[in-house]
Amino acid sequence: MRFFFGEFLTTMNEINTSNKHRFLLTPQYLAGIVVLVASIIFALIMSRTEAILAPLWLLAMAAGFTLQRSRFCFASAFRDLFLFGSARTMKAILLGLAIATIGFAIIMHSKISGASAGFGYFPDEAHILPVGISTIIAGLLFGFGMVISGGCVSGSLYRMAEGYLGSWVVIGGVLIGIGLLNHTWNWWWNTIISNEPRIWLPAINGFGYSIGIFVTLLALFGIYLLVVWWESRAGMFMPVHSTEQEPAETFSEKIDSLWNTVFVNGWPVAVGGSVLAVIVILMYMVHMPWGVTGDLARLTSVIMTSLSISPPEALGLGDMGCFSGDGTSGLFSHTFTSTVGLLPGALIGALFAKEFKIRRPRKATRYIQSLGGGIIMGYGAGLGFGCTIGAFFSAIPSLSLSGWIFGLAIAGGSFIGVQAIKRIP
Amino acid sequence: MILDVRGEICPYPMMRAVEAMKKLKGKNESIQVITDHAPCLETIPMQASKLKWSVSIEEVGSPEWNITLNPPIE
Repeated sequence: MRFFFGEFLTTMNEINTSNKHRFLLTPQYLAGIVVLVASIIFALIMSRTEAILAPLWLLAMAAGFTLQRSRFCFASAFRDLFLFGSARTMKAILLGLAIATIGFAIIMHSKISGASAGFGYFPDEAHILPVGISTIIAGLLFGFGMVISGGCVSGSLYRMAEGYLGSWVVIGGVLIGIGLLNHTWNWWWNTIISNEPRIWLPAINGFGYSIGIFVTLLALFGIYLLVVWWESRAGMFMPVHSTEQEPAETFSEKIDSLWNTVFVNGWPVAVGGSVLAVIVILMYMVHMPWGVTGDLARLTSVIMTSLSISPPEALGLGDMGCFSGDGTSGLFSHTFTSTVGLLPGALIGALFAKEFKIRRPRKATRYIQSLGGGIIMGYGAGLGFGCTIGAFFSAIPSLSLSGWIFGLAIAGGSFIGVQAIKRIP
Repeated sequence: MILDVRGEICPYPMMRAVEAMKKLKGKNESIQVITDHAPCLETIPMQASKLKWSVSIEEVGSPEWNITLNPPIE
C-alpha cells in the first residue's frame, strides 16, 4: 500500500533517480520516522542517567547517518588502493583527517596549553596510544581481517543496520577476536606493550602545537599527493556523470531536490569525510573523540562473564582511559552511546533512502570469510586499542604518532588481504 | 550477459564486473549487472570507464539496480 501526497507520479518506471522519491510515504519511510522518534525519546531517557549521554548518542546517530549516506568504508579506502588503484575514499579520509586535526588541536590546546606540552602530560581523552611493535602487529591483523571480512568495525556496524546479515557475522567475529585478545592481553602487556611509549607530537623536543600540527598536515598532504600519483599510475579517473536533471523551479521542486540530495541520493564521499570530521570534533568537545570498539570490548566482557570464561584481570589498562572505558557501570555509558548510537542513525539513513533490505550472502564461503576476518580484525582492534575510527581517525588528529603507525600497518595488512581475496572465488 | 551479484558486497560485484568486461573484450556484447549493494553504483562505473565501457544505471527495486555495461565502439 502506498500513499502519495504532493505530486502524483505517473512515470514510476522511468529512470530518473533525481525525482522519483518525492514525498512518497512508503513503509520504509514510515519506519524511518518511527526509528527517528524512538531514538530521540531514548536519548531523553538516557539523559536522566547522565546529561552528556544525550548529545553523545545524537552525535553517534549523526555519524551513523553520515557513514550510510556517503557509503563511507574504511576497508574499501585501503583495499581499493591495492585492488584497483583507486584512491577515491582514501582522499576523503585524508581530507577528514586534516579538518579533524585542526579542530582537535583547538580542543587539546584548551586542555593543555603549548607551554606545558612536553612535560609528560597529555590532554584528557585524546587518543594518544602506545606505539611500537604492538601497533604494527595490530594494524597488520586489522587490515588483513577487514579486507577478508569486507568491512571494518564501523563499516560492518552500519551495514548491520542496513540489513546485511554478513555484517552481523563480522561483528560476531569481532567480539570473539576481542575475547581471544583479552585472554592473551597480559602476555602482550608484559612482553611488549608495557615498554612502548605514548608519543604525542607536540611533546617531542618541545615541538609544541604549531610544529605538531604543521608536521601532521604536511604528512597528510604528502600522502594525498602520493595516492593521487598512485591513481594516475593505475589509470583511474572519475567518469563524467551525465545525469539529466530537470531544473528545480517551483518551491516544492526545490524542496524535493534538497530532500533528494540529503536523504535519497548517496553523498559524495568527500562530503562524508568532512562531515565525519566535524562530528568527531563535536564529540571531543562534548566529551571524548569517537571510538566504536570500546563498547564491543565491554559487550565481550559481559558475554564472557555470563559464560564464566572471563580472562584474568588485565594489566596496565588503568592509565589508558580511552580503552578501559570510562568507569561507569550500567548499560548506558559513554562508550555505549558512541557505538550503539551509530545503528539507528544508519538505519534511518537506509530507510529514508529505501536502501534497507535483508541481504544474505549466497555463498557459504562468505560466512566463513566474515567470521574469520571478523575474528582477526577483532584481535587486532583489541591489541591496537581501537579500530579505524578510535586508533586511526581519532588518533592522527590527536597528534599521536600511534595513529600514523597504525594506519600504515593497516595499509600493509590490506595489501596482504587483497592478495588473499583475489584467490577466494 | 547477465551478472547477478545480489547478496554480494564490495569488492566482489566490482571484481566480477571487471572480470566479465575483460572476458568479453572485443566481442561486442553488453553486460547487465544486477545488484542490491549501493556502493557498486560508484565503483563499477569507475572501473568500466577505465576500460572504456559505457554505463547506464536503472533503479529497478528498493534497493536493486541494473547496471548496463556497453562495450567500447571499435
